Amino acid sequence: MNLIGEINCFGLCLKLSENAPIVGLLIVSSVALLVAGIMIKMPKHRLSMFVSAQITVFLAIISTFYLMKCEGMLTIYLYFGYALVSSAIIFGALRFYDRVMIKRLNAKPIKNVLSWIQEFTGGLANATVYYYDSAVPRAFAAGRSVFVSMGLLEILTDDELKAVLAHEAWHIRNNSRTPFLKQLAVMTFSSHKKDELEELADIFAVEIAGSEALSSARCKVDKVFI
Amino acid sequence: MVKLDQINISNDGLTKFFSPIEAAILRSLWNEGEMMTSELTEKTKIPLTSIAGTLDRLVKAGYAARRVDTVNGRMRYVYAPVYSEDEVASEITTKIMDSLVDTFGRVAIENFSKYSDKK
Repeated sequence: MNLIGEINCFGLCLKLSENAPIVGLLIVSSVALLVAGIMIKMPKHRLSMFVSAQITVFLAIISTFYLMKCEGMLTIYLYFGYALVSSAIIFGALRFYDRVMIKRLNAKPIKNVLSWIQEFTGGLANATVYYYDSAVPRAFAAGRSVFVSMGLLEILTDDELKAVLAHEAWHIRNNSRTPFLKQLAVMTFSSHKKDELEELADIFAVEIAGSEALSSARCKVDKVFI
Repeated sequence: MVKLDQINISNDGLTKFFSPIEAAILRSLWNEGEMMTSELTEKTKIPLTSIAGTLDRLVKAGYAARRVDTVNGRMRYVYAPVYSEDEVASEITTKIMDSLVDTFGRVAIENFSKYSDKK
């Protein structure tokens, strides 16, 4: 069967099927959840609304496939192939991305030079902190590792550094959950809410190091021109 | 290393061959020798946030070298020039002369000898 023929077939089947209202209802609810998500201020609730909207879209896709009651459809095989490949990348390869970054940046464990940084971060998350050679102040988390540049260690005070490390530690703590968000975004052809995750990491950093330390660290790092 | 397509002869001084920030950093390193990042930002009057990327580029291009110093529980970069001012001047001059001779041949060489006679 060809793809265009199949897409026309989806439309016809939806029109004729008695389950079509369910798909319609799911699509309407996902739009409603999306709108509600935009109106909510709290990042945690905004994220939940967005994820609920994505789940309803995913359910709408699955129920459309179900009501086709048809075997051997190319689109269904393509979708499941896409699901398999993307989950292999997201749940498999990305978990080991820190190994790649350690090699690429020639990063070294910080515990050998500034042990308090490893102890502080280790107390917040099961993570290893690495530093790498660059004057540009940067910090990021990948897999079970936090990376900080030498430039960051140079310009931040200890309190500011704690705020940045707490922010990255939050990402590591939630690394078991974020791949599901990424996978859901891939399966529903939407984006995953990165800004909300950053906001939640900032809230955690404020709890640990105080808002003053976080905002002054952010101010120093954001002003960098590369 | 200096790239010929980045040379702008209408600029002043070192900025003919380097960006203004690169020129300011190199000038300070040639004057002072080894310098910590804080000293560099003080001398050049350019904030670290603006020179960080340039410092990385100068190190990568081989004009500056840096080592890590740990003092009072803090890590700092210490920068030093790799080549002296004369060595860099010689590299730039050779590059430009090569390109002039390559393009204009005999005329360029005649002008060089006229120039050296005048001097």
